[in-house]
Amino acid sequence: MGIVFTRLFSSVFGNREARILVLGLDNAGKTTILYRLQMGEVVSTIPTIGFNVETVQYNNIKFQVWDLGGQTSIRPYWRCYFPNTQAIIYVVDSSDTDRLVTAKEEFHSILEEDELKGAVVLVYANKQDLPGALDDAAITESLELHKIKSRQWAIFKTSAIKGEGLFEGLNWLSNALKSGSS
Amino acid sequence: MFSLFHGLWNHVFSKTEFRVLILGVHKSGKTTLLEKLKSIYLKGEGLPHDHIGPTVGLNIGRIEDANVKLVFWDLGGQPGLRTIWEKYYDEAHAIVYVIDSASASTFEDAKSALEKVLRHEDLQEAPLLVFANKQDLPAAVTEEELDRHLHLKEFDERPYMFVAGSAYDGTGIKLGIDWLVEEMGKSRRTEALRTRTDTYAKF
Repeated sequence: MGIVFTRLFSSVFGNREARILVLGLDNAGKTTILYRLQMGEVVSTIPTIGFNVETVQYNNIKFQVWDLGGQTSIRPYWRCYFPNTQAIIYVVDSSDTDRLVTAKEEFHSILEEDELKGAVVLVYANKQDLPGALDDAAITESLELHKIKSRQWAIFKTSAIKGEGLFEGLNWLSNALKSGSS
Repeated sequence: MFSLFHGLWNHVFSKTEFRVLILGVHKSGKTTLLEKLKSIYLKGEGLPHDHIGPTVGLNIGRIEDANVKLVFWDLGGQPGLRTIWEKYYDEAHAIVYVIDSASASTFEDAKSALEKVLRHEDLQEAPLLVFANKQDLPAAVTEEELDRHLHLKEFDERPYMFVAGSAYDGTGIKLGIDWLVEEMGKSRRTEALRTRTDTYAKF
């Protein structure tokens, strides 16, 4: 997958520094996705302010991962990770229907951040391998993706543990970033 | 006083922004049309045709014509995803409805999906451009034949134009967009949307 990734993204950013945030509630499968993409070693850091950020540096693209939800006191510190963000990959556990409302609220509140206004949004409706997982149309509805009107978005059904759907999503992402003007 | 003048200035000199929905059933060529639009009006590359996969969400294209800004919303056409279309109706000025002229088996679905779009109250009076796409393919049916299938003229009172063209080679695109821009300029819907925006701006 690492090679595929190079092919898709090498022409997108040139040598520019770029950032892709991988966000979602805890246990959505974010870290598993990063491992699946085999882009390098996931380095986990806990800044002194106390939230866990995982980073994968892939050429000039930095992937950064943290859990949304939970303590509100640390949220202002998230902003340190917002500049130069080209894309947000939002990962949802499609089988965790009890927390979809929370997932929706967290999602829309992060999209309101000024510094993330230009970022395109890729949603992974993850854990499709689990019984009772909602499909892409249902997750679209639950997350109220239609409220997004001024930036490009797409949703893909994925199973991170089986490695399904991840590539299709990244393919869309690279096209969306290439075609620009979003 | 300054803000009053500033507002007036903006009102007179800023380009009007029109939002146009690109709708149609799965594989009719909506995203290819969007990319071709971008390459024609922005003189850029646009995504190569073979890079375009099915859309499962929203693609956006912004272009500028002589006096207007156009924002295109290209929404995925798979049956399960069509429920999101209507969430975008309320703010749209006009509709481009794309039909694959070379795929007779999809005409029924295309027709019923279009009828549903036109029945929706949030799209009242929105000008409609039907783009009979893929005319570059040998299997493409003629305008008359498509008309027989769709009974296009029976739809309703809204401003309506039918263009046979190709998103692949660009045929018919300018013709359609020129018409759309003119219609949106004089449409009562545009006036209604503007009044609403001004009201919001005041509060």
